[in-house]
Amino acid sequence: MKHTRRRTRTLVALVAAIAMIAAACGDDNGDPDEPEAAEEEVAEEPEAEEEPADEPDAEEETEEPAEPGDEMFDITLIPGVTGDEFYVSMECGALEAAEEFGVNLDVQGAPQFSPTDQIPVLEAVIASGPDAILIAPTDVDALQAPLQAAVDAGIEVVLVDTTLSDPSLAVSQIASDNLLGGSLAADALGELMGGEGAALVVNVTPGISTTDARGEGFIQGLEENWPDIEFVGQEYSDNEPARAAEIVSAVLAAEPELRGIFGANLFSAEGAATGIRQEGRDDVFVVGFDAGPAQIEQLREGIVQALIVQQPLDIGYQGVEQAVLALTGGENTFEIGTGFVIATIDNLDDDDVAPFLYRSDC
Amino acid sequence: MTQIPETDLDTNGATDAEGAQAPPSALKWLTDRLADSTAFIFVALLAMILVFTVLRPDAFATVNNLRNIAIAASILLVLSIGQTFVIGTAGIDISVGSMLVFSGVVASLAMAEVGGGQGWASVGVGVAVSLLAGGFWGMVNGLLVTKVKLPPLIVTLGTFGGVLGLAKVLTGGINLRTVPNELVNTLGIGRAFGVVPWLVILALVLTAIFGVVLRYTRFGRYTLAIGSNEEAARRVGIDVDLHLLKVYTLSGLLAGVAGIMNLARFTNTTIQGHDTDNLQSIAAVVIGGTSLFGGIATMFGTLVGVFIPTTLQNGFVILRIQPFWQEVAVGAVLILAVYVDQLKRRARNRL
Repeated sequence: MKHTRRRTRTLVALVAAIAMIAAACGDDNGDPDEPEAAEEEVAEEPEAEEEPADEPDAEEETEEPAEPGDEMFDITLIPGVTGDEFYVSMECGALEAAEEFGVNLDVQGAPQFSPTDQIPVLEAVIASGPDAILIAPTDVDALQAPLQAAVDAGIEVVLVDTTLSDPSLAVSQIASDNLLGGSLAADALGELMGGEGAALVVNVTPGISTTDARGEGFIQGLEENWPDIEFVGQEYSDNEPARAAEIVSAVLAAEPELRGIFGANLFSAEGAATGIRQEGRDDVFVVGFDAGPAQIEQLREGIVQALIVQQPLDIGYQGVEQAVLALTGGENTFEIGTGFVIATIDNLDDDDVAPFLYRSDC
Repeated sequence: MTQIPETDLDTNGATDAEGAQAPPSALKWLTDRLADSTAFIFVALLAMILVFTVLRPDAFATVNNLRNIAIAASILLVLSIGQTFVIGTAGIDISVGSMLVFSGVVASLAMAEVGGGQGWASVGVGVAVSLLAGGFWGMVNGLLVTKVKLPPLIVTLGTFGGVLGLAKVLTGGINLRTVPNELVNTLGIGRAFGVVPWLVILALVLTAIFGVVLRYTRFGRYTLAIGSNEEAARRVGIDVDLHLLKVYTLSGLLAGVAGIMNLARFTNTTIQGHDTDNLQSIAAVVIGGTSLFGGIATMFGTLVGVFIPTTLQNGFVILRIQPFWQEVAVGAVLILAVYVDQLKRRARNRL
């Protein structure tokens, strides 16, 4: 009796577990958005896999210009972290390009910006056998070997946003020129401060190539063009708004002359603005980097006075374009730098700024 | 599943404590296993593997992919071994990821000093330093829990933040990259007979050893006796404080082992990558059927519990399901596993 009951229960639970997995798949199919297209493609996968095998021959023999549209290539985008508006915007740009070039785009990522989380995702993506991978590597060294494995498996790799110690395995790398972005931030902040007072950088965490370059560019820009502004240092928020707010409160208490803060990424600027508001100060200017909905809101409220806006849509679009070029035997551009837009309360809704603001969905 | 009913303690603690009980026959062992909830969770894992294999046989059920799943699980598995003992005593250790990072950081610093960060001597020093560092912080946790009488949750919450902070102080927050090639080429990417990664072998050997320790030795029985009823364990003459100190130190030591594995695999200290190791290891241990209230723990369950989230993640990516679903599924499995465990316990209490 006891055992029968147990067995029944085990069975019921097992059925529940399977149903759960099935439900997860099923729900996704029901969604009227892009994962559906990727889902359907799974069935066609074996076909698609044969195509790239023929591809190199075609490339050598005919050298025809790219003719996308006939091909249904599978491309997977792996952002540095999921649910971040910068990467979501990159995804939107990539989707736009995928539609235009007639390729299937799938997006897979980890909930944390870290190689320990990203590598297992990358390895599973490699196992699923796409034709190309667009990836924002979360570490310059740790991702080197896993991406080499992708290349060895015949997958074309495009680096977007961040890069590797040795990027030569990729067909192309596309990113903002962050050094330039930093110096643009210095100019914007210097103008707001009227060329005097003290300035602080709230950065993310040391060792990230992109944000390190922004900080460096800011310091250089300040030294070159704004000799009367005192630089009080660079602090690290660990990508937590609360931490950035604490830092700003503390520095405001210690440095009464502080008139300007450069927040080097989304959460750093958001937290810096919160810290200023907390202290009830209205004479401290903040220049942020990136333009997620939260920053736009703060720009509208006047808490942040300028935003250095990257062009993630362009990065995503060009990433897919380069992948398609590589798959169809076209000529790749190895290094592509994308530009910046400076957003202020006055130009926020203008046609040359509005399209560049980040999106939380496509 | 191993349980020490309180009524057994008088005989167990006094007489049986001297030597390990003779292992029961293999057949009885097997039937015992199949009757408990560990079997349920094991069958659930097999079902997941089956579903993924049927849906994408070409991608999921390949040697290469299964090897990647095992590698991805190996470091968390080593952390979860220690966590199983700690939770078995009705304690908790949320500092495991921080001890891992700290161990890796001081090991990397030490390896840079010996032979310029290359050579076997450097590896040896690094391993020794990592184990010492992990063991040290584990001991600090144990002393704070037993001598200062603070709740384990608070103690390890403190060391979770503090030890990670110290690791960042030592490095300026920048990941160290001094890892000898000898370590990376063997433990990091090497495979036994060209097939099984050494990372996986190390994790499985440790799991087997500590599985035996938990089930068949005095150390294991003391662990569960304390988790079942600390006061009763004390009254039958178990030195509860000393034993808890050993258990927390073991958790730290294993975090030190994991620190070396992490260095070997990622070739840097990955300071930012271990904030949720604690929750992942606790989830794995609980999914595996170990009771959060202590007294019941099984290493085989922990092994399965580590593989369920890892397999789900891999399978979901291969099936191209939106990544957030994996987090939903792991949460659902956790709740389901605990619910099944509760049902079983209620049924047993009625008998």
